[in-house]
Amino acid sequence: MPYHEFECSKCIPERKKHAVIKGPGEDLTSALPLGYLNTIPGTISERGCAYCGAKHVIGTPMKDVIHLSHGPIGCTYDTWQTKRYISDNDNFQIKYTFATDMKEKHVVFGAEKLLKQNMLEAFKAFPHIKRMTIYQTCASALIGDDLNAIAQEVMDELPDVDIFVCNSPGFAGPSQSGGHHKINIAWINQKVGTVEPKAITSDYVINYVGEYNIQGDQEVMSDFFKRMGVQILSTFTGNGSYDDLRAMHRAHLNVLECARSAEYICNELRVRYGIPRLDIDGFGFEPLGNSLRKIALFFGIEERAQAIIDEETARWKPELDWYKVRLTGKKVCLWPGGSKLWHWAHVIHAEMGLDVVSVYTKFGHQGDMEKGISRCEEGALAIDDPNELEGLEAMETLKPDIILTGKRPGEVAKKIRVPYLNAHGYHNGPWKGWEGWVRFARDIYNAIYSPIHELSRLDISKDEIPGDKGFVTQRMLSDANLPEEVRNSATLREYTGKFDCLEALRHKTYPTFERKAAAAVAG
Amino acid sequence: MADQMDDLMKSRMAQLEDYIMKNCLWQFHSRSWDRKVQNEGVLTRTMQILCGEPVANETPIDKCHWVDAVVLAEEFHRRCPWLAGMDKAEVKTLMGALREHMDYLTIDGSLNLELTDQHY
Ligand code: SF4
Repeated sequence: MPYHEFECSKCIPERKKHAVIKGPGEDLTSALPLGYLNTIPGTISERGCAYCGAKHVIGTPMKDVIHLSHGPIGCTYDTWQTKRYISDNDNFQIKYTFATDMKEKHVVFGAEKLLKQNMLEAFKAFPHIKRMTIYQTCASALIGDDLNAIAQEVMDELPDVDIFVCNSPGFAGPSQSGGHHKINIAWINQKVGTVEPKAITSDYVINYVGEYNIQGDQEVMSDFFKRMGVQILSTFTGNGSYDDLRAMHRAHLNVLECARSAEYICNELRVRYGIPRLDIDGFGFEPLGNSLRKIALFFGIEERAQAIIDEETARWKPELDWYKVRLTGKKVCLWPGGSKLWHWAHVIHAEMGLDVVSVYTKFGHQGDMEKGISRCEEGALAIDDPNELEGLEAMETLKPDIILTGKRPGEVAKKIRVPYLNAHGYHNGPWKGWEGWVRFARDIYNAIYSPIHELSRLDISKDEIPGDKGFVTQRMLSDANLPEEVRNSATLREYTGKFDCLEALRHKTYPTFERKAAAAVAG
Repeated sequence: MADQMDDLMKSRMAQLEDYIMKNCLWQFHSRSWDRKVQNEGVLTRTMQILCGEPVANETPIDKCHWVDAVVLAEEFHRRCPWLAGMDKAEVKTLMGALREHMDYLTIDGSLNLELTDQHY
């Protein structure tokens, strides 16, 4: 097994099995790190907790819900407004955060009364919101507060409200991924099948699962589905509605994007309701095109998908290629939380020319590494649950041009003058869809060729500062070695989309497609 | 089956495998039994499409395998011009070996410790 041992982790021998380098001729049966295990004491992991995974990743993107944490204020406060899962109802779910603010005295005397009072107050403060999720945290779980009983009491007192209880305290798993699992299973057990859909408006009905509307991704994808005449019954959970998600059992197909966080509910929907699971890639021109084609084939409407693929490719390909010629050969450490390591590994290489020199995952399972390692090129260093020192050592040896990662490791990268993009929240997203993919390429380009980074690489304590030279622009940096015909190509162009590419989608009207039953009657 | 293949067939199978492993997701479902069903469902249908044979497509789950198979067969044709020159028997041998190999890579030889977990 081609394990990689970090110098900085030699004192923690267990870490060795968490990193591999895929060498020539090696495949998954010889190169796969361990994953989804309890963090080894002393390694200073960068993972989140199971409460965080349940609430901040999966629960809170639901838009028409009061999301209440039952615990100390810190559990929820630290992520208030740091997430970018927006919604089309004025971002209610990220604008407000709710917590019961447990203190020491509640640990001694119990906090159920406090919880009930908070729930009633929250419903009173936002009378238009009739749905609530309550999240267990370590403190409330350890003292044994009965969340289900309190939720029932409140539902008895306020008959028009519905409450979901998520019992995933921070310690309930090795990482945030434990929380993803818990909330998936809790949702299908408690809520799916408890209401019928408001309306079935199409012959082609999907649940769009594992999509969190980061900077509008879900709205971009919805646009394609609507253009195809496919109804999205629910989105689990970005921009998703609580009651739509209770009616998931009525879809014909589960279209699964982030399998890491949401494969559990798809598997259960398949077992319990016979709804098949179709795994897709929403990123990159070709993977997205093939994904739409598969959904269309499933429903027998291939020509509708093909029309979108042709139109979008013609519109955006010249812009993607403008960036590709300038990004080719640049080295990337692809260090996201989980699924993006495989969503992006092959396609940033194929469509943007980037070389992935390392993949890592904070909370991914071995299944994610199987996908990621298969999709990246030989020689890439794959790391499970890395710590800050290992990240630094990897950057020092691999010398990447850019890191795609989260905020915490991203700030560390900046300190050693490596530019980073936020792989979780994005910079100037959405990054899904054809236009989104160009926006991603633009963000990578802006990061790699930022003149500020050039300046930051100079060390004023020892380097000579070129005081006689003017400020360089990105184009001067990126185009320096390009041949004339590429530099001034008449066909390639920089991104020409709008600053806000979602606004128009929110007011768009879509064609109506005749339903099969109606057509049969008319015929 | 793979043992009896000549070098040409082996290198062709490697090309098909490489496409699947780099671009597809259906082979990486959560558990061993899911992967068995997926490999069988998608690769059998791909073989049938490549051989011009009828493909089972009745239940929603069948259909889901079929859509992955249609796109896979198209991509195989697009990327592997040599496929067009093979007769049905050769395609069947090749696809049979590929299926065996995919089972090995993703199930029997897999190092993924979660594959045998009894729950989702
Ligand atoms: S580990 Fe426990 S205490 Fe810490 S944030 Fe998570 S739920 Fe709160």
